[in-house]
This record gives sequence, C-alpha cells and structure tokens, in this order.
Amino acid sequence: MSAALLTRPRADWRGGTVLMALLAPILLVNVLTFLAPVINLAMLSFRGSGPGGSIQEGLTTATWTSLLTDSFYWEILLGTVWTSLLITFLTLLCSYPVALWVSRLGARWRNLMMVVCISPLLVSAVVRTYGWMILLGDQGFVPGVIRAMGMTPPRLLFNETGVIIGLTEILMPYMILSLLAGFGKLDRTLEDAAGTLGARPFTVFRRIVLPLSLPGLLLGCLLTFVLAVSSFITPKLLGGGRVVLLATEIYDQAIVTLNWPLASALSILVLVVFGAALAVYGQLSKLVD
Amino acid sequence: MAIARAPHAAGEAPRDAAPAAGLNSVHLTLEALEKRYGNLPPSVSALSLQLRQGELLGLLGPSGCGKTTTLRMISGLVPVTAGRILVAGRDVTALPPYRRDMGVVFQAYALFPHMTVAENVAFGLEMRKVSRTEAKERVMRALGMVRLEALADRKPRELSGGQQQRVALARALVIEPSILLLDEPLSNLDAKLRDEMRNEIRDIQQRLGITAVFVTHDQVEAMAICDRIGVMRAGRLEQIATPLEMYERPTTPFVADFVGRMNHLRGTRLEGGGVRVGEAVLATAGTSPAGEALLLMVRPHRIQMTPAATAQPEAAGRNVQPGTVRRVTFVGDALHYEVAMGAETMLVESSTVSGPQSFAVGDAVFLAWSPDDTLTFPAGTEA
Ligand SMILES: Nc1ncnc2c1ncn2[C@@H]1O[C@H](COP(=O)(O)OP(=O)(O)OP(=O)(O)O)[C@@H](O)[C@H]1O
Ligand SMILES: [Mg+2]
Repeated sequence: MSAALLTRPRADWRGGTVLMALLAPILLVNVLTFLAPVINLAMLSFRGSGPGGSIQEGLTTATWTSLLTDSFYWEILLGTVWTSLLITFLTLLCSYPVALWVSRLGARWRNLMMVVCISPLLVSAVVRTYGWMILLGDQGFVPGVIRAMGMTPPRLLFNETGVIIGLTEILMPYMILSLLAGFGKLDRTLEDAAGTLGARPFTVFRRIVLPLSLPGLLLGCLLTFVLAVSSFITPKLLGGGRVVLLATEIYDQAIVTLNWPLASALSILVLVVFGAALAVYGQLSKLVD
Repeated sequence: MAIARAPHAAGEAPRDAAPAAGLNSVHLTLEALEKRYGNLPPSVSALSLQLRQGELLGLLGPSGCGKTTTLRMISGLVPVTAGRILVAGRDVTALPPYRRDMGVVFQAYALFPHMTVAENVAFGLEMRKVSRTEAKERVMRALGMVRLEALADRKPRELSGGQQQRVALARALVIEPSILLLDEPLSNLDAKLRDEMRNEIRDIQQRLGITAVFVTHDQVEAMAICDRIGVMRAGRLEQIATPLEMYERPTTPFVADFVGRMNHLRGTRLEGGGVRVGEAVLATAGTSPAGEALLLMVRPHRIQMTPAATAQPEAAGRNVQPGTVRRVTFVGDALHYEVAMGAETMLVESSTVSGPQSFAVGDAVFLAWSPDDTLTFPAGTEA
C-alpha cells in the first residue's frame, strides 16, 4: 500500500504522457479542420473583393469598416441574436415537460420514448422544413384548422413566425437530449424528502427539481442557441427570402453575390457571437454550481 | 449479552404491550396494511399495530423484509394496496406526504445537494412559514444537537457519510413533527456517537411526546430506547412486544434468534415432562404432549459454567450437564466458550469480571441453567 503511494507521482507523470499521446490525433484533426480554416477565413476578410467574385491582392480593412459602420449589418446581428434567443426559449418551454416526463418513465418505456424523441433527427432538416411548408402554407393544415374554428389565420409562412415555428421543432431533439442528460442528477428520494418536510408538488419542482436540472438546461440552451444562429436552410425556406439572419446573409454573400471577403467577415462575427454565448454559459454554470 | 437501557428509560410510563388502555391515547394505527409492487408477491402484508401518543416503536428484521416499505406507506410516499392508516383516529391513507406532518430520516439520507447544511435543515421550517429569526435559531439548536454547528455552511458533498446522516436527523427533528419515522438513522456512526445520538433521539421524542418508528439492524439499540419492538419477517410482523418480553418470551424461534444469540437443541418430549436431547433429559418450563419433537433454545449468558473438579453444582431443579471446552474467544467485555455437551455444541457466554476463574480449551466443566431459561418450540417452526 505505502509502496504504491510512493510510486504514485511517477505513475501520474506516465499517465500524463499517455494522455497526451491519446489526445494527439484529435488535437491534430482540430488544428487541421477548425483552427486552420478559421485563420484562413480571418485572412480572407481582410482582402478586397472585385467584380465577378474575384479576390484582390493586398490587405485592406474596407470590408470590416463597411460592416461595422453600416447599420444594416448591426440590425442583422441583433435580429439574429434576438430570434435565436426566442427560439431557444420556446424550444426549452416545449422540451422541458417532455424530457421530465420521459426521465420519470420506467426503464423500458424511457428507452423507447427517448428513441421516439430523437427520431426526427433521422429525417433531414430539409425534408422536415418542407413538411412545415406544407403544414403552414396558406392552404395548409394549420391555417385550415384555424379557419375551421372561425378565425382568420395569420400568415405563418415566408415570415419570421414560420422560421421560429420550424426551428423550434427542428431543434427540440437536441434540447431534449441535453435535458435528459442533466436529469441524471435528479433523485426521486430528494423529492420524497421535500414532500415529507411539507413542500407541495409545485414547491418541490421550484426548489428541488428545477435547481438540480439547471446544468442540463443551460447546456441545452447553449446548444440550441448555437444551432439556431448557424442554421440557414430552414430560415431560407420558411422565411422565403424575406427573413434575413446572419447565416442566410453569409450564404447569399458567398454563393449568390460571390463577395467572399464579406462572407468571411460575417462568419467571424458569428464566431464572436458563439464566443459570447460560451462566456455567458460559463458564468451561469458557475452560478448554478 | 446485557440489556443496556438508557438511564432515563427506567422511570417512565409503563412499557406494557396493551396500547388500547384509553382510546384517546392511541395515536398511530395501521390496519392490515399491504403493499405489492407490480405483480410481485407482497413486500408487506397484513401489518396491523397501534402506537400510543409518544411511544417509540423499534422495527427489526432482516434485510428486505419490508421495513422501509412500511415507513414509506406510513409517510404516504408509496400508496398502500390494501389497509388503512389512522392518525389520532383520522384516516390519512389517501393524504399526500406534505399534509401528514411526519418527519422522515431516509436510509440514504436524501440531503438536497444544492443547499448548504443549514439550508437543508431550514427547509422544513420554511415550508411551515416559521419566521427567519426563529428558524435560524432552531436550525442552530438542531445542528448543535447532532454536533455539527461548525459545518452549517458546507454543502452535503463536503461531509462524511456519518455527518450527512446527522444532518438528515437534524432536518427531520427540527420540524418537531407529530410522528417521526427513522430508517436506520444511526447506521453510519461510530459506537460512541451512536449511543449519544440514540439518547438524543429518545430525549427529544420523550420531551415532545412524538410518536416514532425507529428502524434498525441493531437489536441492542432497539432494546435500549424503544418502548416496544416489532420483528418483521418476509413482509409480516412476526411479534410485537416490549423489549423485555421480546427477549425473554419470544413467540417464535425466528424472533428468539433475531434478538440476541441462542443455543439450539433438538429433542423429544417424554411422558414425565422432561425433554430427551441425545443422552440427556432436560427440564423445561412449558409442557407439551409426549412424543412431540421440540426445538429447545437457551441464551448463552444464562448458562452457568463450573469446573468439573469441584462438586457437581446444586441441582435444585436446574439442568446440569457435563461438557468439555472446545474453544475460547475473548470479545472484550465477555468470554465466549464453545462447549461440547454430548453430541451438541453449546455456546456459553460469561462476563470477564464476574467469574474469578476462566476456562481453557480441554477443561472438563458442568453447564447449569434454569428450566425457565429453556424456551421450547414445536420442531419445524424455525427459520
Ligand atoms: N420500488 C420497488 N419495486 C419493486 N420491489 C420493491 C421496491 N421497493 C422495495 N421492493 C421490494 O420490497 C421488499 C422490501 O423492501 P424494503 O426496502 O422495505 O426492505 P427493508 O426491510 O427496508 O430492507 P433493508 O434492511 O435492506 O433496508 C424487498 O424484497 C424489495 O426487493
Ligand atoms: Mg430499508
């Protein structure tokens, strides 16, 4: 026993080398597929763009100056953050009860319902978006139901409402998975204990269940927010070109206008938004702990 | 094994087994409680008992016999499949836990991991809308009682198992519930702290007149502080009686074995009233039809051992048998002897101070015990 204790530091040191060796491949892959392209992107944003998508020699800050001084881009940025936050909140609202219910099922039903919850991921987001177009279109199912109830349906397609509805549904599986991972810490005997101490069910939820599920909730929100900011197919199709978000604008600049330096600069902006989201997440998780 | 009793236990209300003395005094009544999980055989069945106001019931039994399930039914945490629970004459069977005013110490503590020790203990007071200043004072008093004032601001994960257990105890006691349910509340404490805590529990329970059920694996602990003890076996209440009665007059071999050590002998009842065990004929207190096969039980510390060299001890109706010491074990406050007596091996316990002489392996001895200390059960009723 004492001998083992004495040799412990050396074993740790060797463990460190092994760890480094095991991490090396993933580090290499990350450098090659993430860091290098990002640096490349940053460089590209400092080049000038010519007619027909050509990229000019020499460095210039023209793209960044126009980006930061043009209120159009600031509006896109704020609009994107706001819409994504709203989508994240709605996704959370729709997913939390589902995740809580699934986590409380017996083992067999729980596994089955988990598969059901994440099964939408087996269908491509494009297909699901087309599904929503059929449901939300003027002659679609949802306006039909609203009409049948004797009301005039609002426009649900080719505007922000459609984007929010579609993305909320499409992102729910990710939120549910994160929440379920976080619910692992929940223990029914804690709720029992709170009950015997006189807490009513809603108080038990507010004082025990909710605080203990905050880590999973925060992680799910981070994930959903990042996915909402970066998705462009659904906003493009359901927004019908009328909803301009950072991701759709990057797509337009890169593919339609062929202004690659601007597309690069906007991509860097998205990375900054992600960085900010991570920072907020880090602060909140520290508070929760 | 001495029946250690807490000093204050001696002069209190009579510890008799008849709770129906006055109807007003009955506080907790269980009527034919049954609990089945799914289609499994019942975890608890036909459980009936009555506890007087301020009575402390010890619940003993082997692992898995349904002790925790019983407490969970009383506290309302699992629905009963049959039977009724009455508190002060009122049927509470359908009430949710938060309306039952019962303090529960859970076997697995169930401390809230995101709250400090003080917040954990204060939770029940908060639910009862006790003012902040009063709550603070009561929390500190409760923590003082379990010797944990210094750790009030720690999180449960920063405590040892025994400390967590004491927080759970403080959390249940601080609300001064009308009924207290303790599921092995001292299992993780060292011997000294265990004794202190059990006396604290008894003091508070007596002072506030709380009706309590105390589940434990330690029969000495149960005997020490409980007014009555119930022994459970496979979901049923095998016997419920005062500690003394349980120890001296167990109604089944299972109970006899469960509360303290026992020697087992097999024999047959003779015409004259004695029981033939191998070559020997032993006297017993009870009678039974001749020819019946019997299981005899004798507590090891009720057997007196004398050297065979001195004269055979005064018979006077006692059972006296020759034997040879086979093994001696020193366990601190007692010596355990294994003595070959005919074809049987008897365990004899003697206090290390009482006898001037001790015996060595190979010594020839006489074993003597009273017929009153010889319990008889029909063969085949044992565990
Ligand atoms: N949720 C459950 N589902 C199915 N069976 C259960 C459940 N809870 C308990 N049981 C069964 O009921 C029986 C009694 O369990 P219980 O927990 O009451 O035992 P116990 O006397 O408290 O044991 P221990 O001394 O080990 O704590 C056991 O056989 C157990 O397997
Ligand atoms: Mg138990």
